[in-house]
Amino acid sequence: MKVAYHETGLYNLAVIKETKRWLKQHLIQDSQFQKINETYTSSFYHPNFIVRILLFVAALFALSGVTGLFALFVNGFQGGELFFFIACLFYGVASFFFLEKIFIQRNHHYKSGVNEALIYHACGFTIGGFLGIFDFNEHAGLFIGVVVFSFAAVRYLDLVCSVLAMLTFAGALFYEFYNLGGIFQQIIPFVFILAFLPIYFVTKKLKSKVSLKFWLNNLLIVEFLSLLFIYAAGNYLVVRELSIELMDLYLEEGNDIPLAFIFYALTIIIPLGYLYYGIRNKDIVLLRVSLLVVAFSVFTFKYYYSFGHPEITLTVAGIILLVLTILLLNYLKSIRYGFTRENTLVEKWASVNAEAFIISQTMGGNQVTTPQQFKGGGGGFGGGGASGNF
Amino acid sequence: MTNPIPKELFDKGFITEDQYKKIDLITSGQLVSLFYELRSMLYLGVMLFTTGVGILLYQNIGEIGHMVSIIALCILTLVCFGYAFKHTLPYSNEQVKSPNVYYDYIVLLGSLLFISVQGYLQYQYGILTENLEYSTLATAAIFFLIAYRFDHLGVLSLAITALASFWGLSVSPQKWYSGDFFSTSNLHITAIIFSMVLAALSLGLDWKSIKKHFTFSYLNFSMLIFFVAAVVGLFEDEDWYGIYVLLIYAGCIFTYYMARWKKSFLFLLYALIAAYIGTTYLLADTISDNNIELWFLYSIISCGGFIYFIVKYRNYFTRES
Repeated sequence: MKVAYHETGLYNLAVIKETKRWLKQHLIQDSQFQKINETYTSSFYHPNFIVRILLFVAALFALSGVTGLFALFVNGFQGGELFFFIACLFYGVASFFFLEKIFIQRNHHYKSGVNEALIYHACGFTIGGFLGIFDFNEHAGLFIGVVVFSFAAVRYLDLVCSVLAMLTFAGALFYEFYNLGGIFQQIIPFVFILAFLPIYFVTKKLKSKVSLKFWLNNLLIVEFLSLLFIYAAGNYLVVRELSIELMDLYLEEGNDIPLAFIFYALTIIIPLGYLYYGIRNKDIVLLRVSLLVVAFSVFTFKYYYSFGHPEITLTVAGIILLVLTILLLNYLKSIRYGFTRENTLVEKWASVNAEAFIISQTMGGNQVTTPQQFKGGGGGFGGGGASGNF
Repeated sequence: MTNPIPKELFDKGFITEDQYKKIDLITSGQLVSLFYELRSMLYLGVMLFTTGVGILLYQNIGEIGHMVSIIALCILTLVCFGYAFKHTLPYSNEQVKSPNVYYDYIVLLGSLLFISVQGYLQYQYGILTENLEYSTLATAAIFFLIAYRFDHLGVLSLAITALASFWGLSVSPQKWYSGDFFSTSNLHITAIIFSMVLAALSLGLDWKSIKKHFTFSYLNFSMLIFFVAAVVGLFEDEDWYGIYVLLIYAGCIFTYYMARWKKSFLFLLYALIAAYIGTTYLLADTISDNNIELWFLYSIISCGGFIYFIVKYRNYFTRES
């Protein structure tokens, strides 16, 4: 399938974005960047992130108005349920056409915020319409979800749709095996590992293909999520809690889930494997995932084998993490095995102002001083979890 | 991952061979930077440690051995600041680059430990039990000092939130979400005044060329507080809502100039959302008509017009930010 956008324009925009990062790192001169900027032009309307959010919100509001009028119009026919769902489907597909003809082809919008609003809106009504026509059958719903989200991810290079496509695919896989019942329910973890392992390797291969360069970010998401799914499928906590929750597994004191030793082993082996191969192959995706899953593995073991003192765990974990990081920072003072602690290229989402805001939201400082609610001096009770507010 | 861009630019003569070699080293993945990973780990370590220590202290108040831990913490805090003072560069009104990678995190750790110790001492010995809010003021003052002395944006935002909480304001979207923003009446008026004073103060400092790179954080907090407070006022004081609409509009004009000056669309985002809520409220009150179709048309026309406006004047809203 082809991208909906003008390909030369996409490539030129990628060149400009890339060279802008080089310029920020003083790898090239300002005059050189200007020359590149003049040569690699694109006619896209591609505003910065904040404007995108602004346009996205505005477009959603406008679309809710359109949807309201549409609903009133359809209701006027009194056509019954099936008619209503067919109208929804039609409306969803029409939204895709509207997006392509008016915004992408005529006005050259590329990831402008309006695009995203229209894409999600169109996906929602297309899937909703189909679902209604199939009388809310889950099999059909999940299948259509995978198809529609994949279509939107591939054709419009949308990253959120890539995530949704992966999630619906994983959901479908789980649901189908779950419904088969019996032994099929038991092997779901292995099915996941066997399904996502090939997906991971194929994605890695596809990433190196120049002809697929526009989809690099989508492929990165697939790679990242595949690794997470493989880990989650083997994680003891996930398997145990899902077994109890969904498969009515009843565990008595001292009992354990079937094949528990395998899942214990996987909970340890997979993160270490990720870390090892991440370091050996200098694979930043593997490394980042490994940091996440190592933390989750530690949490898994602490969850079942706790000494009942979470505060000591927190303190000790903090000390270990700090010491380890400082040792690593010292070790990487000079480049070792191709790793450096210095910043080579600025990540586009990095900002000192955003970091400062996150600190203020997650660490202390935020305590409201009411004498009745003394909270240990507010030493970091701020409540984690606020991030990405920017 | 093969990135064709550096090779092409080199072949076409846009970049020199030296530059190409350097860039290719990075884009081809031969040189991998762990900058963000290590920083995240430091940040997480500081957060876990100070949270754990905070709970530990609070749970073990008055027990044996706990005096030792307090003293240990005090020493650790002193070590942090001792390190900071030893390695710091002299104070300057300009931006001072931190001397090494973990310097910023040690200052942050010291500051957070300091509030643990201070909070504990105050609780245990009741130095300021009667007027607990003054200890927040003291915390804020000390954080401001640290922020300016060691040029630390993170501690500055901690200082601003502490100062706000002295006035009873919680500057946290998490808490606003759970409906905790201005629980006591008239707190939104305090918030509006606070945000105006804060903005004026930051502009004064900027005008005097004192730590100009702090201005963004100050303005960001003032605008967030101002607009949220004005919108809350709109719904709280229904009889006087006209004043709040005017306040929002005045805030928008100010924000517009700040956004142009700081080249920040974030400020415009706040202003536009507040203005939209204010205007819609005004319209709902004046030409209130329960015709639902009219409201659908309103949302289409207003938002559509807004999108048209932004796209039309795209050159004004360039990618610089």
